[in-house]
Amino acid sequence: MNPKNSPANEPIVARDATYHRAPDELRARIRSSLAAEARKQVRPMFWKWGGMAAAVAAASVLSWNVAMLQAKGGEEERLAREIASAHVRSLMAENHLSDVASTDQHTVKPWFQGKLDFAPVVTDLAASGFALAGGRLDYINGRPVAALVYRHRLHVMNLFQWPAAGSGDSAPELVTRHGYSLVRWKRAGIEYWVVSDASSPELLKFAQLYASI
Amino acid sequence: MTRLARFESGVLPHLDAAYNLARWLTRNDHDAEDVVQEAFMRALRYFDGMKGTDARPWLLGIVRNTCYTWLEKNRPADLVPLDDFEALAAETASPAATPEVILLQSANRKLVNQALEELPVGYREVIVMREIEDMSYKEIASVAGIPIGTVMSRLSRGRELLKVEIENRLRRAS
Repeated sequence: MNPKNSPANEPIVARDATYHRAPDELRARIRSSLAAEARKQVRPMFWKWGGMAAAVAAASVLSWNVAMLQAKGGEEERLAREIASAHVRSLMAENHLSDVASTDQHTVKPWFQGKLDFAPVVTDLAASGFALAGGRLDYINGRPVAALVYRHRLHVMNLFQWPAAGSGDSAPELVTRHGYSLVRWKRAGIEYWVVSDASSPELLKFAQLYASI
Repeated sequence: MTRLARFESGVLPHLDAAYNLARWLTRNDHDAEDVVQEAFMRALRYFDGMKGTDARPWLLGIVRNTCYTWLEKNRPADLVPLDDFEALAAETASPAATPEVILLQSANRKLVNQALEELPVGYREVIVMREIEDMSYKEIASVAGIPIGTVMSRLSRGRELLKVEIENRLRRAS
């Protein structure tokens, strides 16, 4: 059949079907992920320039800066590995996952009182697809930390929290280690790391939601 | 201008088009958001390869691929081969009992949306790009990776199937 024979047929969809516009929240999320991703992609270039400049100028201050940055990179790598291990450990035995199993933030949050020297931020994001499942104490980076357990579809997510070393907030940033995605951010004096085998966009979405409460 | 700034000014304005296509292909808000976010990350990675091409079809090509990968993994049943429907389209090509005028007057947004969602994804995508996104045959061909002739025949069959689907729904409703 030639569509020209039925011109009336053509505009049905154009006139009546919905044009789905992107939600503002998605736009914001994408912009923030793009910025994080761009920073990551730029880094190799930076190392090249950093290395060259240090070699040519032999400026001690610059070398020291580069060394500091490398140390920080190594520190992050070590922390990421430690957190990925804690995540895997938590999944190995079901009863290691939660010391307090509850979907109620008002049960989970008080459970930490007296067990930690800071108050973790506990919130249920079930409405957004991230349901609080419980909490436990864990030991990361040489100190006791809060570990909150969330479920997202079939994935278990571990959210670790401890008091941040420096001041200042930092936006969620994605780190990938051994097939696990990790997202870290800092807010109001607390350092957060969330880890899961859920997809990176999901994890970033979770982080954005958490960082905006 | 940094690479990110160039990306934001050249590609990000097509976010609505990206979301609209992903939403029609996944048929779900949440999944469309995930797919679009993933597609933008891929787009940023491949951005240097975009040089000289139009940003919208380039981005939509990535969105479509991301959608198909997602469908393969999560809803393989959605990826039906179109052959069966081509036969069906030939059968149903006879003039409809309902006059088109009546059809047009009574086809409301909800009905059209539902009927379009029911269409096999191979037809749905060309109709969405042509009629909702107002793209040229050539652009659609480049996004879907099919020849222009195939774009036209799929559009034609897709419209027939859509019409039949709308008529069936009207009949059931009355």
